[in-house]
Amino acid sequence: MENNLITEDIQKNKLEKAFEILKTMASKPSGLIGLTIVLFHVVLALISPYIAPYDYKAISPNTMLLAPSAEHWFGTDSLGRDVFTRTILGGRTALTVTFFGSLIALLWGGLLGIFCGLVGGKIDDVVMRVVDAFLSIPWILAMLLIVSLLGTSTEVLIPALGFFYGKGIVRVARAATHDVIAKDFIVSARARGHSNMSIIWNEIIPNVRDAILVEGAMRWSWMLLGFSSLSFLGFGVSPPTPDWGLMISNARGLMSFAYWSVIAPIVGLSSLIIGINLTADAFAKALGIDRSTKAPV
Amino acid sequence: MKYILKVFSVTFMSLILSFSIANASSGVFKVSHDLGFGKDTNLDAITKGRLFQVVIKTQNRLVRPDMNGVPSPSLSTDWNANSDATEWTFNLRKGIYFHDGSAFDAPDVKYSLMRAKDPDIGSPVRKSLNVVEDIEVIDQHTVKMKLSTSFADFPLLLTDYRLRMIPEGSGDTIGQTGVGTGPFMVDKFDPEGTTILKANPDYWEGAPGVAEVHVIAIPDAQARIQALLTGQIDMNRYVPFNQKKIFDSNSKFTTTVIPTGNWRGVVMRTDTAPFDNPKVRKAFRLAVDRQELVDLVMGGAATVSCDTPVMPSDQYRLQMDCPQNISKAKNLLREAGFPNGIELTVYPATLEPTWPTIAEVVQQQVAKAGIKVNIEMVPSKGYWNEVWMKKPVSMTRWNQRPADTILHEAYHSGAKWNESYFKNADFDKNLADARSELDFNKRKKAYQNAQMTLWEQSGTMIPYHVSRLVVTSSKVKNLDAVDHFSIQWHKVKVD
Repeated sequence: MENNLITEDIQKNKLEKAFEILKTMASKPSGLIGLTIVLFHVVLALISPYIAPYDYKAISPNTMLLAPSAEHWFGTDSLGRDVFTRTILGGRTALTVTFFGSLIALLWGGLLGIFCGLVGGKIDDVVMRVVDAFLSIPWILAMLLIVSLLGTSTEVLIPALGFFYGKGIVRVARAATHDVIAKDFIVSARARGHSNMSIIWNEIIPNVRDAILVEGAMRWSWMLLGFSSLSFLGFGVSPPTPDWGLMISNARGLMSFAYWSVIAPIVGLSSLIIGINLTADAFAKALGIDRSTKAPV
Repeated sequence: MKYILKVFSVTFMSLILSFSIANASSGVFKVSHDLGFGKDTNLDAITKGRLFQVVIKTQNRLVRPDMNGVPSPSLSTDWNANSDATEWTFNLRKGIYFHDGSAFDAPDVKYSLMRAKDPDIGSPVRKSLNVVEDIEVIDQHTVKMKLSTSFADFPLLLTDYRLRMIPEGSGDTIGQTGVGTGPFMVDKFDPEGTTILKANPDYWEGAPGVAEVHVIAIPDAQARIQALLTGQIDMNRYVPFNQKKIFDSNSKFTTTVIPTGNWRGVVMRTDTAPFDNPKVRKAFRLAVDRQELVDLVMGGAATVSCDTPVMPSDQYRLQMDCPQNISKAKNLLREAGFPNGIELTVYPATLEPTWPTIAEVVQQQVAKAGIKVNIEMVPSKGYWNEVWMKKPVSMTRWNQRPADTILHEAYHSGAKWNESYFKNADFDKNLADARSELDFNKRKKAYQNAQMTLWEQSGTMIPYHVSRLVVTSSKVKNLDAVDHFSIQWHKVKVD
């Protein structure tokens, strides 16, 4: 009975802390704007299939490259498809792929970085040299190789992006771990005979979590840009799925006379990236982390 | 008097000097290529990886198509056949020299053509040239070609853009040197960078109008358009029609629309399930709305084709209508054992700018018949080696050829570039009959029967023959408004 009360108390405290962080984030204009933009995109991604005015894949020679009008708010593209419909649907795949990709990056990058930081020695040396080697490979080339071999399904893109964007998190998590392993409570835990896993789970993660989460949020916006770059090159989502990167790629040749077909996806993509960046920035400040050093301030 | 003579001399010399300058090759003509053959790119016209943007400027054919596609003299001045068209005698142009200084004569003709028939080289043009049994050198400037069958249209076959004359014995090096008798000589061959051609001042039709031609590798179609807009290249012959507006209103560019026999298509491998069933192949082809493809992809600038590769202006083309027929397509799928439809994946690359759009439109059209098309983009570089003739369904594009050549080359059961792995004895027999038939109407009937077989059985969906939108910098002058392989490149000038 007493234990249950303590657990409820802890959960209540966690909720209160989360609410407090959100409140702090929203207290600054930039944080409020960032949160609003991200929330807007997430809600739009959820409800867009129900509010889209046209079939996103309906082609017609009769409606090719129509300028914005009351009927087609953002005009139509070169195949006669409604640009507004495709724009509001265009963020769904990008958000889904990059959100789960970021989670994978956070998980493997964070855990491996913490582990290396804790155990040190030869294991740390070997792992970090391997990470350095991967860091030296341009991610876009590696991704092109992967999609050429395995295809462009989300089952391939999510883990591949998660892997490539997790490399940087390994370094951040390792550095953050180095900051805490010299602290007395780690020494004390070791003296008590706790295993490495126990120390990681109970002592290190609670102390490096914030820095890793902020890094993860930043990686999310980079991954979004990376994913859209892949789509732009034709290696992201497959047609006719609406996707901002693909829409920009298809319409870029028409910019001088059918600007509407390219502006809408550009606004969608850039606003989401700006929103995530502002949110991550506000998140870091709310947690008391200086993003330039990733260290508590 | 002395003064008058002085003025006259100066004026006369100035006129001569101006005339010389006006007639000298000057300026650089910059074009691009798509690097579609990757590392296999070479200058041997008869191989798969030939960089035709170069060889058509450095090497000549015996016979070339004139502006109307009719065989006309090039390195051969005239020709005649025996009564049953089994022996053809070609008289060669005299006083012609290769870029390496050697004289062009009859043994070079024999070497060049017999090499194209060499099974070890495995040229894609070998199949259509198999009709040539032997080439006899009558004298230094006369050759007699002995055919295995009557072939009334034989000179037409020799207009093939790959049948270029090269020096005898140069086969081992021609892939890098590109030596020929053409208006331009290879100065530097860099397939992945810029290949530089220099004017051949001794060209037999007169010195070229430009001093150099630069052939620049730019794999991406949109990048090629940007290169044209920014002046990096002077000509783009693959501009999509939906981008015509960019150039129409710009005085720096000249646009020309050229009807051609070039075609684009979707290829199903007939040796791979489920496309090994002719009903499945026909169902796919029937489910396509070709006119809608013409309108959406080409902005109306193309001629609908009912899966025949024979160009619209060809005398042997089979004229027919082939509207979209979804119910018939569904019935065929049901009869083939696919009542719930089929699923397939196509692999477009941007090396041909219209491929992704064709794939997207076809995807929507055939979905109505229960055919689910997945689209997976692949890199442009190396497309022809990695995807084409490898994947069960791929995208294709062909330049125009005479009816006999294209039917042999793309569909004959023994052809190297039989991209759909199509094998049909009736089709092969019709082609053989057509070649040996001296009566025009009967020959036409045989070619059209072969095309009807394609409509019923073929694995290649050919929706249209394109009209080409050629955009050049307004600095470019005297460029013939014809297909790539009929242009007389020596006449081109760049201001």
